[in-house]
Amino acid sequence: MPIEVPNTSEPEDKRLSLPRPVALGAVGNGQSLADHGQAIIRSRGFCLCYGDQVGVKNIDMEVYPRSVTSIIGPSGCGKSTFLRSINRMNDLVPNARAEGVLEVNGQDVYDKRVNLVNLRQQVGMVFQRPNPFPKSIFDNVAYGPRVQGIRRAARLAEIVERCLQHAALWAEVKDDLRKSALALSGGQQQRLCIARALATEPKVLLMDEPCSALDPVATARIEELIARLKNDYTIVIVTHNMQQAARVSDRTAFFCLGELIECGLTRDMFTTPQKRQTEDYITGRFG
Amino acid sequence: MAAATDFDRPLLLTPGQDMLGWITLRVGLTLLQFVALTCVLSVLFIFIFIVKEALPFFTSGQVGEMFSSAEWYPTSDPAAFGVWAMILGSVYVTVGAMVIAVPLGLLAAVFLSDIVPFGIRQVVKPVIELLAAIPSVAYGFFAVLVFAPWLQDNLGVDSGKNILNCSIILAVMAVPTIVSISEDALSAAGRDLREGAYALGATRAEALCMVVIPAAGGGILSGVILGMMRAIGETMLVWMASGNANQIPHPWYDITQSVRTMTATIAGEMGETAKNTTHYHALFAIGLVLLAITFGLNLTSEALMTRGRGRPGTARRKA
Amino acid sequence: MRTFIRRVLDRLFTSIAGLSILLMAAALVLVLGPIIVKGASAVFFCGTVEFRRMQVHEFNSGDTEAVKAETQRCQEARKPAWELIELFSRGIDTDRLEGQVKDAIREYDKQMRNRVEAGSLGAQEARNLRAKARRLRDFMLDALETTDKATALRRLKDVLDSPDRAALQATAGEELFRLAEQYKATVETVDLTRRDDYAAALAETRTLLTRLLGPAPGSAPKAALAQFRYGATRWDQALKLRDELLWREKYVPDQPGKPLKKTRVRRADEFANTKLAALFPMIDQRLEKMLNPRSTFYWRFFTDDSTPGHFFGGVGPEAIGTLMLTAIAMLLAVPVGVMTAAYLIECMRESLALRVLRTCINTLAGVPSIVFGLFGLAFFVLWLLPKLSLSNGPSALAGAMTLGMLVLPIIIRASEEALRAVPPSYREASLALGAGGLRTFVKVSLPAAMPGILTGIILAMSRAAGETAPILFTAAVAVGPWPGSPLKPCRALSYASYDMAVSDKLAAQVPHNQAGMVLTLVVLVLLLNIVAIVIRSRLTRKLRGT
Ligand SMILES: Nc1ncnc2c1ncn2[C@@H]1O[C@H](COP(=O)(O)OP(=O)(O)O)[C@@H](O)[C@H]1O
Ligand SMILES: [Mg+2]
Repeated sequence: MPIEVPNTSEPEDKRLSLPRPVALGAVGNGQSLADHGQAIIRSRGFCLCYGDQVGVKNIDMEVYPRSVTSIIGPSGCGKSTFLRSINRMNDLVPNARAEGVLEVNGQDVYDKRVNLVNLRQQVGMVFQRPNPFPKSIFDNVAYGPRVQGIRRAARLAEIVERCLQHAALWAEVKDDLRKSALALSGGQQQRLCIARALATEPKVLLMDEPCSALDPVATARIEELIARLKNDYTIVIVTHNMQQAARVSDRTAFFCLGELIECGLTRDMFTTPQKRQTEDYITGRFG
Repeated sequence: MAAATDFDRPLLLTPGQDMLGWITLRVGLTLLQFVALTCVLSVLFIFIFIVKEALPFFTSGQVGEMFSSAEWYPTSDPAAFGVWAMILGSVYVTVGAMVIAVPLGLLAAVFLSDIVPFGIRQVVKPVIELLAAIPSVAYGFFAVLVFAPWLQDNLGVDSGKNILNCSIILAVMAVPTIVSISEDALSAAGRDLREGAYALGATRAEALCMVVIPAAGGGILSGVILGMMRAIGETMLVWMASGNANQIPHPWYDITQSVRTMTATIAGEMGETAKNTTHYHALFAIGLVLLAITFGLNLTSEALMTRGRGRPGTARRKA
Repeated sequence: MRTFIRRVLDRLFTSIAGLSILLMAAALVLVLGPIIVKGASAVFFCGTVEFRRMQVHEFNSGDTEAVKAETQRCQEARKPAWELIELFSRGIDTDRLEGQVKDAIREYDKQMRNRVEAGSLGAQEARNLRAKARRLRDFMLDALETTDKATALRRLKDVLDSPDRAALQATAGEELFRLAEQYKATVETVDLTRRDDYAAALAETRTLLTRLLGPAPGSAPKAALAQFRYGATRWDQALKLRDELLWREKYVPDQPGKPLKKTRVRRADEFANTKLAALFPMIDQRLEKMLNPRSTFYWRFFTDDSTPGHFFGGVGPEAIGTLMLTAIAMLLAVPVGVMTAAYLIECMRESLALRVLRTCINTLAGVPSIVFGLFGLAFFVLWLLPKLSLSNGPSALAGAMTLGMLVLPIIIRASEEALRAVPPSYREASLALGAGGLRTFVKVSLPAAMPGILTGIILAMSRAAGETAPILFTAAVAVGPWPGSPLKPCRALSYASYDMAVSDKLAAQVPHNQAGMVLTLVVLVLLLNIVAIVIRSRLTRKLRGT
């Protein structure tokens, strides 16, 4: 059962010893920040803590539609934390609290009145480890549409086929959609999870190290998939793998120790990083 | 904004949705709370009703003799309500059972956790747990119709229904519980502990006796306590096989004599007792004594469990 | 040297530990063995024609015509045996003969009185005739009473050659002469001095033969108790009875001061030189013809009702009662248990309330079953159900509610554990797809936890089915109708097992039925447990996707 994450518009919590974000003034009342172009996700001074432990702090970042944004950084720097904050998956963690502004499509998602169901339907997520339900392939993909109230078998079948094709899995599984999803290989499972996420017709797709548990062949297929999906979706992908970030993404953000160090176009970042830390990390001299 | 057109479902709840969601959540939670309260209420009601029915006996003035006398003549005039012999009877069969079951169960647990290959353990343990499922009346049946005549014929005792019979069969019943929980505790004690001991050159027996068993002590002890609770609370077997003679064995070590236990007294007499007589209330008083004993043992085992090394909740479940 | 001792100790430890497991296995075999072997013989055994006859008459099962024909054939084979008994008893069973003689004369008296009333006979003449008849009767009774052969023959001669014989012609009194002639034939062959011995031995033989073959055809009215209406229904029983019939146990003084010694003597020897001696070889050799044993699979043992004392029949009502009690208990306990577990896992965080709830669950799990019985009596039977005016006194419902409380902690713990073991990633995936908390629980967490929950439920069922103490005062009865309404007390396997083993004297004569009852219970419980294990492993495998 999700717990309420304290609303940022509430009086400030004394236990939180974070620097107050600058632009906090009007946050949380559904009021939009000044418009910077066409960012679909935008954070200003966003912080998220687990109890006393800081997950991320002071993140100012934009994500633009129909592009791939990758987040890189050393382990434990808060990449996943930030990603999960976007569709409020951190609500599941007891005593997680958010501060600052995180807007999706111009709406602060930490507003108390946010419709979590609609938010998560439209901001899909793929996790680090493939986590299909212990159900058939069909039921896995049809889960999201069923949640949305689609019951007609023909319509479901059509959605399932489209999403599996989209996720480049259709050819491999079309003959046994009734087979348990757990019987698939790791790479297939991950593509199934992507198909499952696509079935809710999201606008944004969050991917948390989707390839870290996969072998190179499966990784290559997922990367192909991402390249194709970016025409229709906004993708944010967390990755450990610099080459991958360079290959698939248009923009890259570099996190370190819970802070956003640098964010910009991928090709700029990998050729002319602005910050020393970024350069060290990219060239492997980090730490 | 171009981006804004992408989202076709509103991100904000309408006030109606908000209200509805809130109400459903509250109603659901309240419902669940009520259901979860059943357990608490059950325990409360058990205590309340047993105490309520036992209370008239405690205020009747005969309570003094309850723990001081062994005379139990509930239907004669004047009636006597001494349960001392029954308490001793319960203690006799329980202690007898534990003396047999604890070493046996502990050794079997050690054997399963440390000596046999893992594959065999995976087969044997469920079978042992299956043993715990056999109804006590089946054990009682065996004790009365097979074991008691055998004892009579082969040991030359007066009655085959005696402490010895009861203890042995009770031990067979309690062993599975002890094995199962002790084995959990021993397994939970961890590999590094054993490896540490072996590294110091200990043989397997030494490693187990001096390091592993002490480390798993809390879990093992609580297993023993749960086995003991099963023995004290056991009704059908002791009713059938103890002989039901309200006496204190004399000499005290003569375990071939018949005794009577608290549980058997309740089981045997409640059916023929008119309600709201002193006898009826006295039987409830015995029930209360039983309840108090097991409650105390339960708290002890719980304390041992949380204090012990084993993760709480892993070993308990099998009880 | 020290290392040697250490090594020996180590070996010793290992072998003792191994021995303890063997000891447990031995205990299991020893306890279950007799129950299984004897209990199985309640279902698989060699049944005689008497068994099939009994099934037709008492339980209305079997091919009536075929059984009738078979009975006919067997009666045919038994006829010589019964005839031998009948013939011999004429000479020996003087009590019976005396009765017959007196009856004949009484009948004669009545006839005479009737004739006087009808006016065809003068009163004085009738009085004379009756006096004559009584005189003859007294001669006959004297003949029956004496053990001296000569006296008896003389008295019989008095009767048979009496001048009054003609007067009794064509009346009920004629019977007297028939009896006298029969008796004369016997007296000539039998040693009258041993008549009392013969009488006792004959009575015993007749009883045994009745137990072996059933009541003699055409004899006595139908016995009130079912067990006296049929002979040996089982071949093993028949063989035992045959043995008893052929050999008599006798205790004879062995040496002075020592207890009497048990010896066996041939019953045939007791009847040496009499016509009855032929009975024993006949029984010995032709018993199979008389009883027609056939191996029988009596599956209706599990559905048949039983005759008083479980002498014949099966465990039907008990099995149904147990199933009813268990089903109601589960109906009550499963929703509460699973919901409590869901609440514990999904809604509660570490808090005082959680600790209290947990302590309550543990306490409930530790309450002795007899205390549950007391509570069920005080709360459900005497307080709640009367208050709801549902029932006064024990009822299946009260017992089932008590059992439900007893198994509640088992279900809660199993469900809790199963729910806790559901990977959090399932829950996350579901929530990330926009599902609500309730849907996630019902569609994802619950199915994933199902193996564990089901296992818990089935284990709880087996516990509820096997418990006796909680239903002693709340639900169970030893005799009663088929279980129907849950508001009536009912029979149950567990309680009947107890009752048959300890208090039912009649059941002690049918050890196979005693053990059959317990075995049904044990098999039911073990079956449930094995089903639980199978479900757990199959569902787990399915969840793993293989
Ligand atoms: N559920 C949690 N509870 C407490 N601390 C957490 C939790 N998840 C992550 N953290 C902490 O937040 C920080 C960021 O973690 P994460 O976002 O998972 O890093 P990564 O960049 O490797 O994905 C880490 O220091 C981690 O210890
Ligand atoms: Mg991560």
